[in-house]
Amino acid sequence: MPCNEALQLQAYFDGELDAAAALGVERHLESCADCAALLADLEHARKLVRASAAYHRADDGLRQRIVDQIGRERSDGRKSVLWFAPDHRFLSGLGSGAAATALAAVIVYFLAAPPAPNAPLTTDLVNAHLRSLMSDHLYDVASSDRHTVKPWFAGHTDVSPPAPDFSAQGFRLVGGRADYVDGRRAAVTVYRHGRHVINVFAWAADAESPPQAATRNGYHVRCWNGGDLVFCAVSDTSESELQDLMHLIRNTKA
Amino acid sequence: MDEKRRRFEAQALPHLDAAYNLARWLVRPPLEADDIVQEAILRAFRAFDSLRGEDVKPWLLSIVRNCFLTAAAKSKDKLHVPIPVDEQIGADPALVAGEIDPESALIEAERGHALNAVIASLPQEFRETLILREMEDLSYREIADITGVPIGTVMSRLARARALLKERCHFAVEARTHAVQ
Repeated sequence: MPCNEALQLQAYFDGELDAAAALGVERHLESCADCAALLADLEHARKLVRASAAYHRADDGLRQRIVDQIGRERSDGRKSVLWFAPDHRFLSGLGSGAAATALAAVIVYFLAAPPAPNAPLTTDLVNAHLRSLMSDHLYDVASSDRHTVKPWFAGHTDVSPPAPDFSAQGFRLVGGRADYVDGRRAAVTVYRHGRHVINVFAWAADAESPPQAATRNGYHVRCWNGGDLVFCAVSDTSESELQDLMHLIRNTKA
Repeated sequence: MDEKRRRFEAQALPHLDAAYNLARWLVRPPLEADDIVQEAILRAFRAFDSLRGEDVKPWLLSIVRNCFLTAAAKSKDKLHVPIPVDEQIGADPALVAGEIDPESALIEAERGHALNAVIASLPQEFRETLILREMEDLSYREIADITGVPIGTVMSRLARARALLKERCHFAVEARTHAVQ
């Protein structure tokens, strides 16, 4: 049975220990044959991988295609889609029960009512918020760790907002998802605040600025600029709570 | 836009080989590493402005991995298909051209080929952890961020990967010896 210091030894081998801990391991090695053998195995495996395993390099064709592709990227990454596109997830999320029926009634109201003048973006934000609550689709990635959510954005959406967790202040990060708002692909950071869900939509700033604050049927929307991004927080929680979350996000170093 | 493209080419494209290597080691047919890398670079370029002071390489590799997972989920690819360890030796171009000593070249090619097969046979979470540590020299923290698990998990995966490598490489040597005889 190998010495139970094995993981510590591995950490030493990988240069992860501070000087004091490394010294401790080296002293231990002087009298532990199992660890000395394990260290030799680790060294052998490393030499083998670095000398003989394939390290694949991008060929010139791929490199050129990539450079060309970047060259073709437009500064405006907008995509035109229906502003409300019901899909099977939305329908299957209706389920049964009073809450679902009540929310369904609200959705129908929004579908029937014409968009408020000069506020298609606000309408769309609230609709997107409701869609997320109705369906099983509140988040694509579930995590309270910004180090999981933020890179997920980088792989799935056009922008990668910071996604910090503020559990200590009452705003718990629950995950992230990709969504569409008014023709733009948005990265959405999802928070829970007590019984309330807050969706924070983010997209690259462009010619259209959303109104700083708005309300649609009891749902509050608060928008702000941060760096190159526009942020819009939507929730049925109070306006002052939304403002608190806005300040927390704005004051975070990305 | 030109400014962004210049910065991206200066900071991100130097890590293109690392991105491609990771993609090659992650994908199985019908997925293609080229497609994954192209998609990843595009997403990285679009998200580039959000990168503030972070190291570009781990960030880029994280995107590559996410693109792979998305594509794999879409094609319902099985992620743990083991490749048989006792493969036939492929023709080493240098050997065929007669440029190097045939016997040592054969040993080297044999050793390299068997090793690649062993690494490819590792379950994905062990394989990617091993590659990020041994080929890309990333820290436990960086590997944890890329693979989305705690550092403790990275450590145990690394230990398991190295143990499997040892076990299967010895097996590979034996299998080939028996095949030769």
